[in-house]
This record gives sequence, structure tokens and C-alpha cells, in this order.
Amino acid sequence: MSITRRSAMAAAAIAAASAGLPRPVRAQAKQVVVGTWGGDYGELLRQNIDAPLMGPQGIEVLQDVANADPRKTKMLAERQARRGTFDVSCLSDTDMQMMAQQNTLETIDFGRLSRAGSIVPALRKPYAVPHIYSALVLLYNPDKVTTPPTSFADMWDPKYRGRVGFSDILYSTNTFAAAMAGGGSFSDYGPAKAKLMELRSLDAKIFPSNEALAAALKGEEVWMTPMWLARGYMWQKAGIPLRHVVPKEGAYAILFEAAVPRNSRNKDNAYAYLDAMLKPEAQTAFADRMGYLPTVTDATLPPEIARAISLSEADQARLRAPDYDYLLRAHSEVLDFWNKQFKG
Amino acid sequence: MAALVLPAGLLVTLLLVAPMLLLFRISLNEYSPTEMMVEATTAANYLRAVADPYYRSVLGTTLAVATGSTLLALVLGFPAAYWLARMQGRWKSLATILVLFPLLVGNVVRAAGWLALLGNGGAINAALLGLGLVAAPLPLLYNTGAVVAGIVAVVLPYMVLTLSAIIESIPRQTEEAASNLGARPMTVFRRVVLPLALPGVAAGSVLVFVLCMNTYASAVLLGGPRFKMMAPAVYDQFVRGNNWPFGAALAFILLGITLVLTVAGSAVLGRRYRRRETEERA
Repeated sequence: MSITRRSAMAAAAIAAASAGLPRPVRAQAKQVVVGTWGGDYGELLRQNIDAPLMGPQGIEVLQDVANADPRKTKMLAERQARRGTFDVSCLSDTDMQMMAQQNTLETIDFGRLSRAGSIVPALRKPYAVPHIYSALVLLYNPDKVTTPPTSFADMWDPKYRGRVGFSDILYSTNTFAAAMAGGGSFSDYGPAKAKLMELRSLDAKIFPSNEALAAALKGEEVWMTPMWLARGYMWQKAGIPLRHVVPKEGAYAILFEAAVPRNSRNKDNAYAYLDAMLKPEAQTAFADRMGYLPTVTDATLPPEIARAISLSEADQARLRAPDYDYLLRAHSEVLDFWNKQFKG
Repeated sequence: MAALVLPAGLLVTLLLVAPMLLLFRISLNEYSPTEMMVEATTAANYLRAVADPYYRSVLGTTLAVATGSTLLALVLGFPAAYWLARMQGRWKSLATILVLFPLLVGNVVRAAGWLALLGNGGAINAALLGLGLVAAPLPLLYNTGAVVAGIVAVVLPYMVLTLSAIIESIPRQTEEAASNLGARPMTVFRRVVLPLALPGVAAGSVLVFVLCMNTYASAVLLGGPRFKMMAPAVYDQFVRGNNWPFGAALAFILLGITLVLTVAGSAVLGRRYRRRETEERA
């Protein structure tokens, strides 16, 4: 504990001491700081955008890697600052909406994006560009769950006692699934409370991360979980026995977006970055590796990937974004209930 | 002479006191889902934390785990510290480095090691299953035992080094005198070494207790999603719940309780030590 703190202090002291020194030439080159997740997402940005698309423009990309929550907290803490950390911020649609509401984001000038015309119209927002999207599905192990489930409500079948798993970090969508199974809606998570407590007495398992959940699905410790279709695709590719169904109660869309914070220091480079994120070749790479669908109309997917990650036309038509305003108001209650009652 | 404190004092004021004052101010604000934080002067966050049985139980778990881990570190650390203190020659510096060795590894990295050891597919369960000793993996992870084991492994070096410094200062001759007068080893320990080492016991326990109260990585990684201590609960409020005022109030409650307990604990041990000293002089 004290070691980390001490070394952090030492680093800060060195940084402070070197602030007065002449800056290296490299630092004067064009830069853009991208706040992003690490893991596959950050890696794919590096391989398909940073190197091939930004490099030739002479723009150096610096990734500031962290999970969404700490990056959101950083943006909120820097709200009043003239110079922020990020030039581009990558977040989910729900988080991005919250950041927009807190007045941290620039209104996008779509005239500065050469790719603006290719964006799928339904995914367009004034404060962000859409990057990739997927849907909330019910993943299940076809060897164990022999009657294919059709709805979230199937998780409450006593046959599957102790075999339903949840990822702790997806508490919001897990609560959504329970709400829908209990007759709730996108704007009413109230029924989730009773349903979650019922599932708790059916020994539902909670895992600290998506990776821990994947390991439990692989070991057939649990057989069923609400999850993003894209994740399910990745896990299937990794050899985990899984099928998916878009539950009949509702099709919840997850959209990952990118935006420019108001206090970005390199707005020109940030716009160049957003434009690169919308290029068909960059979009296809995310579909292939992570199973997310492109947000532009002109990115073509190899047919076998398209089949694995696309939704049927009927499901596509049912796809709905979460009710951001409701989530913003209910978020704290949802988290409290999840922590105190369901997990407690 | 007072000027010697100035550089460190300034640094602490700038990096510790100022953020703490700011955090205290935040703890008096009101939370709003849309505005995040509304300027106010209210004790509501503190009252809510104290009134809510959930946070009382989180605090209870934190106190129990911290106290248990401190006692365990003391019991395990004392013999090792004694051995280290009485060691001579070049082996002593090697042994000291060995004691320090766990501190060279970050908490998260160490916890990852515990995960690999204790998980359902971890080394211990793999061995037990392989030998046919158990039919299903034992639940070794995500419980209080795993957290305490993880914490003790982190804090043990602090305990051992603090204790061994004070034991070294106890002249060997006092123990020999006690033995010569017919005291058995346990009596020597109980009547001579332990009383003289009390200041070290107090210092080591306070240091370790404070570290335990603020445990984060071990609690999150080894305790699993259902296990809650105060530091992760504070983090949850700030980062997941965006409720800075309530998170700040929880942080100050944690700070206040830790402070009161450590001051009270050292006062009790200190008084006992002084009483014995006066008794001996009399």
C-alpha cells in the first residue's frame, strides 16, 4: 500500500521537477488523447485506427486506459478545468448520455466529419458519434439447457436452480432483465425487486467480472446469463458451449459511442479520430474480433460473421435504446438494491 | 529547528490536508441524480450512513476483519520478529530482505496469485480433485477466510519489522537474568520480553490495523461480489453510484472510527507499559 503511494509521489515529484525542462521535440508533434477501455477494445483501436489511419496523418494517439467508471469520474472532476485529460472519450450510450447531461461534452459539428453521411440515422446523437452496437440476449449452454429458452423469465425455472449466473458489473442490465420478466418496462424497473429476490432464493450466482462469469460458463458451473450478444460471440469463438436468444420481453440495445469533451486540448485531432472510427475497415475489424455490429451503412461483413452477430429483421425492429432519463434517475436506487438486498 | 518540518509540512498540507478539507465539504452536500451534487450544508449523508443497517454491517465486517487480521499478524509476527531480532551476522540482513520481499509485489498482483491458488480451477482444488480427495471444488475463494489470509500476507512484514526493532532494543541479558533466576522460557516471554516489547506491539498493531481498515484490493478480489468492506463501499459510491457526498461521508466515518480506535488502543497499551515501568521501579 505505502509502496504504491510512495512511488506515485516520487513520480509526481519527478514530473513536477521536469516540468521546467525544455520539452522533447516529440511532444510538439500532433497528439490526441483517447480515453478508452483496455483489453480487446483498446487493442483493436490501436491496430485498426491508431496505426493505420492516424499514423499517416502525423497524429500520435495516446490511450488513457481505464474502465468506464473511473474515466467518467475523471471527466466530472475536471468539468470546471480549462484543459481536460481526454480529447476523445469512449463510453457506452448510457454513460455518454450522463456525461452530456453534466455538460462535459462538445456538441458535435458533423460538418467536420467526412464520414457523417454514412452513420446509421437511428444511432445519431448531437453529442457523440456511434461506434459499435449489440443487443442484450440470454446466453445458455445448449448441452444443459435442452429446451431452448425464449424469455428472460426462463431464468426463474426451478430446474435451473443454482445455474443462473450474473456478472456483477452488469447490475443495471441484470436488473432490467429481472424487471422485464416481472412485467416491467424500459421505464419501470420496479418489478425487478421481487423477481431478483426470488432468483436469490433460487441460488443465482454472482461473478465479480465478465471474465469470471465466462470461466464459470466454460466449466459448466452456470448455464445461463443475460449478456451482450457480442460477448457471447467472443465466448463461442473461444470454445465455450453457448447459444443465444433475444428474449421475447424486449430487445435492449447497447451502443458504444465516442465524443469530444468540451475541455479537449486538441479538437482538430479529436475530430480526425472520430472520422477514422467510422471508416468501414475499422468498423469491420471490431465486428470480426468482438462481434459488435457496425454503425455505418457501408461496412460489409463476411457472411459467416454477419450470420453469427446480426439480429433477425424482427429482432432488429424491436431493438430499443434504454430510457436514459429513467436510468439516470433510477440508477442509484438500482445499484443500492443490487448491493444491499440482492447481494447482501 | 522548527524549519526542518517545513518541507514535509507543506507537502502534507498541499497533498493531504487540502483534499481532505475539500472532501469534508463535499460530504455536507446533497446528491442529485441529474445535477450530481447540490451545494448544501447538511448532515443527512452521515445520518443516512449511521441509520442504514447495510452500512452498519459493512462497518461491522470491516472492524471484525481488521481486528482479526491484526491479532493474527501479531501472533504470527511476534515469533518471527523475535527470531529476526536475535539473529546475528550476515544472515540477519538476508532475513530482513526476505521479510521485506512480499512488499516488492503489489497488492493486486499478490491477490491474483491467491486467485490462481484458491479458485475453483486453482492449484489447490486441481490437486484435491486430481487425487480424488474431493468430488467438487472446495469454495476456498470469495469468503472472509480468503480475505483475512490475503490481508495478513500483506501486513505481516510491517508487523515483523516494527516488533523486531523494539525486541532488538531489549538487552539479551535481561532474558538471561530471568532464566538464571529459574524462569522457564514461557515465563521469560510473558514476564520479561512481552512487557518490554509493548511499545512495539502498540506501534505495530496500530500501523497494521490502519492498513487493514483501509483494505481495498484484497477485499474486492478475494472477497468477491458479496463481501463488502468500507473502502470498496466508498469507491462504489464515488465511482459506480456517482454519489460523491455520500461516498465522502462514508470515507469520513471510516477515518473517524479508525482514528478513535487507534488512539484509544495505543493509550491503553501505553498506560499498561508505563504502569509496569513504575511498578518495577517501586
